[in-house]
Amino acid sequence: MADHKNHAEHAEAHLREKHLMLDPLPRGKMNEMVMESMTEKPTWKFWLVFAVLSVITAYGLFYSWGVMIAEGLGVAGVNRPAYWGIFLVNTVFWIGISHAGTFISAILRVFKAEFRRPFTRAAELMTTFGLVQAGFSIFMHMGRVWLSYWLMPYPNQRMLWPNFHSPLSWDLLAITTYLLSSTMYLFLPLIPDVAMARDRSTGWRKTFYKVLALGFRGTEGEWTHLRNAMNIFAFAIIPVMFSVHTIVSWDFAAAMRPGWNSTIFGPYFVVGALHSGMGAVIIVLAVIRSTMKHMKYFIRAEHFDAIGKLMLIISMTWAYFFFNDYMVQWYGGDKWTKQLFHFHEAGPLGWMWFAMLIFNVAIPWAILWNPKWRSTPWLVAVVGIFINIGMWFERYIIVPISLTINRMPFTWRLYEPGIEIPLGIGTLTFFILLYMAASKLIPLIPVWEVQEGQMAHELKKFGRETVVTVSELE
Amino acid sequence: MAESNVVDILAVFPDLEPAADAIEHLRSLGIHDECMNIISGIPVTEAMLGRPSQWTNVPRIAMGGAILGFLGGVFLAFVVPYMYPYPIQVGSQYPVPGPPTVVVLFELTMLGMLLSTFLGVFLDSYFPNYRPMKYVPEISDGKIAILVECSHVEEKKITDALNKLGAESVKPAEAQHL
Repeated sequence: MADHKNHAEHAEAHLREKHLMLDPLPRGKMNEMVMESMTEKPTWKFWLVFAVLSVITAYGLFYSWGVMIAEGLGVAGVNRPAYWGIFLVNTVFWIGISHAGTFISAILRVFKAEFRRPFTRAAELMTTFGLVQAGFSIFMHMGRVWLSYWLMPYPNQRMLWPNFHSPLSWDLLAITTYLLSSTMYLFLPLIPDVAMARDRSTGWRKTFYKVLALGFRGTEGEWTHLRNAMNIFAFAIIPVMFSVHTIVSWDFAAAMRPGWNSTIFGPYFVVGALHSGMGAVIIVLAVIRSTMKHMKYFIRAEHFDAIGKLMLIISMTWAYFFFNDYMVQWYGGDKWTKQLFHFHEAGPLGWMWFAMLIFNVAIPWAILWNPKWRSTPWLVAVVGIFINIGMWFERYIIVPISLTINRMPFTWRLYEPGIEIPLGIGTLTFFILLYMAASKLIPLIPVWEVQEGQMAHELKKFGRETVVTVSELE
Repeated sequence: MAESNVVDILAVFPDLEPAADAIEHLRSLGIHDECMNIISGIPVTEAMLGRPSQWTNVPRIAMGGAILGFLGGVFLAFVVPYMYPYPIQVGSQYPVPGPPTVVVLFELTMLGMLLSTFLGVFLDSYFPNYRPMKYVPEISDGKIAILVECSHVEEKKITDALNKLGAESVKPAEAQHL
């Protein structure tokens, strides 16, 4: 009898240790932990990384862009036949990264996946910052960036309107819609947390949070309006997310080119976006867990396990779409498509094609099937890094490598990037810089959502077994 | 009730249960639901506290925005092609082709809806509002506050009742800068 009791108590203690939702702390304590994680004095390592990234960003993004504006697009490697180079590879890549925030925050919210609660904001921040880099990449690709306002629909003296029947104009609409809506979706659930930060700050931080909190107190009316708006956003932003990457895929699929003209490109791109996005989320979570104070309480092995499962499923789905796209085009037997496939696999960058498959499929499958490995933060983060490299390779294969082979062999020429390389690195370092700055300014953990989840969870006994139960509070 | 006779009392409760009991008791003392406001650090539903449903205009504003967005899409997809000094022929497409029109209508409808949902929260909640307000910072530590509007005559009776019902603090509410 005593043995049974001890065993039950041990099982209960284990469940509480494992699940954040079953391990509640007083709200005041959690607020304090989140505030400390933001306001603790940055270490010399933080400043060193920040300084190095700032220098790289200043050179890679701003100086190099200045050079390109002054010298013209000729300093980039884009030329006949590959007019689309790394700028568009990066555009697709960053839009892909941005999909993770919406996936985690909206889809998992709609399906009431409770494990999402502590890291929705970390993922949403990635969406907004990723879209900023995507926007930069598009503007770089334009070359004459000062004329970018020509894309906007406004009545001008020459009566020149953008052609809204062109996929490139849909890009403008879709990316603008997604950037605005994901930023608003980031901000709405942030309001109660910045109000909490306002109540606990002094000096410039107090003013900063006061402005951001907009006067939020937490009245019944305010919560009702916020809850309604978040529900509308959670449902409505999902089709917007799907539309963005589908439209990006149409930039390629609507062209009658070998390797591009595929009806499956829409879902293939969306799944690819989720693949790289989830990989990026896991990297970010592993980094903030190991570098920020108190984050080990909020982000636990259970979260890596849950995201690891999602990554495995998405990897399988990506492999399915990849094979489907490959199989149908290969079976079609078109002369130019065969040439292109041969170039992908046996051309000078054939290693990239094989690396793509190894990084996107073989490595995730080999590691993520194992629950123990899947729950090891650094290991899942390494898988995330491989996936992101693999997905970048995939975009590189689709864009400049596929453009090399066309129906006019006399134009075939391998794309050799020029200033695109520092510019691309600059977007990556700028993304990390934005994230580092945000981690010191914005509560990365949505404390009120965590507390709400903890209220809803409890342990219940069924016979001799103790199980986790969740109540529906909304 | 003359304006000068009205006082606001702010009672802070440690938990949901005593707050719900206090609301019920206040009602039995003759305080109407409109004279109470609940302030909390997490979204406590009306049902949990036995309060009447809160009205929100957010869904209607969202619908209005969706309609406006759709009309914007109609303008770009159906009107703009005829505003060029010369027609732009894309492949063998009509001036207003079906599938691309769907894309434009979809994106602008969603943009209109989401923008107006966001603005709806601002309009309904009177955001931003930086005037002094009745509030205590303990609320964001997970406490639940009841803001009661009553007459001077009732103040003592209500304060005593709230104290008896487990309030951690009961005091006249003072507007302060947050």
